[in-house]
Amino acid sequence: MLRTRRSEILTAFVLLAPFIVIYGLLFVWPTIQMVMLTFTKAPLIGAGDWVGLKNYERLWGDRLFWTATWNTLYFVLLTVIPSTLLGLLIALGVNRLKGWAQSLVLAAFFIPYILPVSVVYRMWGWMLDSEFGILQHPIAAVWGENVPIFRTIPLFIPAVAFITVWWLIGFNILLFIAGLRNISSEIYEAAELDGATRWQTFRRITWPLIWPITVLVATIQLILQLKIFDQIYLFAQGGRVDATLSLVGLIYRSAFQKNQGGYGATVALVLFMLIVVISVLQFQLLRARGQR
Amino acid sequence: MFARAFFAALMSSAFMVSAAQAQEVIEWWDFLGGGDGVRMKELINRFNEEHQGQIQIEATTLEWGTPFYTKVQTSAAVGEGPDVMTYHLSRLPLGVETGTLSPITEEDLANAGLATSDYQPANIDAASVDGQLYAVPFDIHSIVLYYNKDALQKAGLLGEDGLPTGLDGADNFAAALKKLQEAGYQQPLSIHDAAGDSMWRIFYSLLNQQDGKFLDDNGEFLSGDNLDKAVAATSLMASWVADGYAPPNTEYAASIARFTGGEAALHINGVWEVPTMTDLATKGELFDWGAIQLPTFFDHPATWADSHAFAIPNNQGNEMTPEHRKAVMEVIGWMAKNSTFWGSAGHLPAYNPAREDPEFQAMQPNATYASLAETAAFDPRSPLAGVASPVYDAAGNYLMPAVNGELEPQDAMEQMRDDLQGQAY
Repeated sequence: MLRTRRSEILTAFVLLAPFIVIYGLLFVWPTIQMVMLTFTKAPLIGAGDWVGLKNYERLWGDRLFWTATWNTLYFVLLTVIPSTLLGLLIALGVNRLKGWAQSLVLAAFFIPYILPVSVVYRMWGWMLDSEFGILQHPIAAVWGENVPIFRTIPLFIPAVAFITVWWLIGFNILLFIAGLRNISSEIYEAAELDGATRWQTFRRITWPLIWPITVLVATIQLILQLKIFDQIYLFAQGGRVDATLSLVGLIYRSAFQKNQGGYGATVALVLFMLIVVISVLQFQLLRARGQR
Repeated sequence: MFARAFFAALMSSAFMVSAAQAQEVIEWWDFLGGGDGVRMKELINRFNEEHQGQIQIEATTLEWGTPFYTKVQTSAAVGEGPDVMTYHLSRLPLGVETGTLSPITEEDLANAGLATSDYQPANIDAASVDGQLYAVPFDIHSIVLYYNKDALQKAGLLGEDGLPTGLDGADNFAAALKKLQEAGYQQPLSIHDAAGDSMWRIFYSLLNQQDGKFLDDNGEFLSGDNLDKAVAATSLMASWVADGYAPPNTEYAASIARFTGGEAALHINGVWEVPTMTDLATKGELFDWGAIQLPTFFDHPATWADSHAFAIPNNQGNEMTPEHRKAVMEVIGWMAKNSTFWGSAGHLPAYNPAREDPEFQAMQPNATYASLAETAAFDPRSPLAGVASPVYDAAGNYLMPAVNGELEPQDAMEQMRDDLQGQAY
């Protein structure tokens, strides 16, 4: 008996070893290295002098860090919740369609998701160009003159958030549709027989049964958008980049542009902690609600 | 059939390998996409043809800007960099600070058949850090004033020699813009005022026209009366927008389109857009156009400039043999001596004899604005300055909003000074 146990442990270890080695080598070790880096004044490459907590002190007093944190959280707020709710809403609508009409509408919503970010940037950049943009006609009709959207600070994050939702929502819709199709039609039939109204059907059947997918979508979006970099970087290029900086943008700028690897690592570590805390918190919160 | 073709291909590649071993193969990296890139490839092909069996260049084109410099820095640190690469002189201080660049010695220059006296002194200064040369300048590129001849004719701003007249001096320039407005050009000036980089180039020219120093010898930004000069430069640029001569927040492509579309009669942009204009004109889609050195708005002529240069990475742990280095220098020397052709990309060859070449003298509009090489003002010598640097970012954060009327020039320059000073530690 004991013998089998021991050999089982051995087998388990042998089977787990490749994963542990690779995980340790490619994730745990670099992470430890990065934490060590935050205590040094290292350049982008190579080691640096030990400076203790200096980088953290600097971070605390860095106006840019707070701007970047605020911008990132503001962006998350403007993308995660709208793209989750809107995704569900569109999925509910698409789900009511039948046959080719459904495929067509679904494709229409999904196509933007396939585009690379650079194409998205070019398209919207031109559509909203302050001189020649086609969308400037309606804007001028309402506002009285052309508005340089990406050079007007209060409009910048909302505009990029809107474009991001437009761009990425197709994926959310797809997840929701998969979830909706998983709900057995028998439940709906039973509800209909019992005389449930449409709202009651949604409130009592669809919403609770789709909840796990909602949590999944919101969590995926949250982690993705906390790491926001590319759209903001592209649209802000050359402009007032300080006022529109995101946290990953600050990492990029410190480490790659200014050759301050130690400080870049410090910002990266703080962002890492932020993502861990927020996503665990959100997951727990949403799950607790669902289990009610 | 297929097997035969495959075998033939194998044989020929085997043959090429053995041929390659008899000669020096120079690994070359550049960041020249677009029109520049096409012309550079032509030069490389010509070099390879002329040096068959001796030296062959194997060129790779990489992404311009920060990605290029990051890759160069990381690869040099592990000894995997190329043998030679293109480099912006404005970016040189950071390259030297990070130990990415190998110094160019007197012997190297002699091997290339070049001497520092073949270049403008300001150009050599820009290629050196603490008196040591780190790169060989290849071109000087700058900003120029593009103009619509028909429009200037209508406004009476074209001299008898066919060149614009009456544009020097801030007041005269404003008067000229007014005349163009009266001639039917509502917003006669087109500048790329939605980004810091283009604004920086004009600003730095105007600052140098007043002998202003952006960064003084003590490492202080905009010290003393330099701040006032910077404010004067910014105010002048802001006045073009405020007085309605140029629209605010114009994006790069839109700023070109405003000129080529005939909406604006004057356009300030880099010489690298010369091929755009030439190509359009060849297709018959452009009016009669020209380009001249930036007018003198203040005390004397001066124009912002940067250089594409050749540098050798400091490949750590993988140093090249003296023979190989000699071959690299031969490549650099050949490129300098054949750089007249590079002028067709709009740039000015850095090598003096190439600019004095009759072929270049006949090249228009390059020959007209070639004089700017003598008063070229290169970016401040600091790891914080240069292409895609904190100074460029600061220009986007403070200078650009000031030009567009969102910040007061005085406040903008003070904030820019304090921001950059805070980053220099």
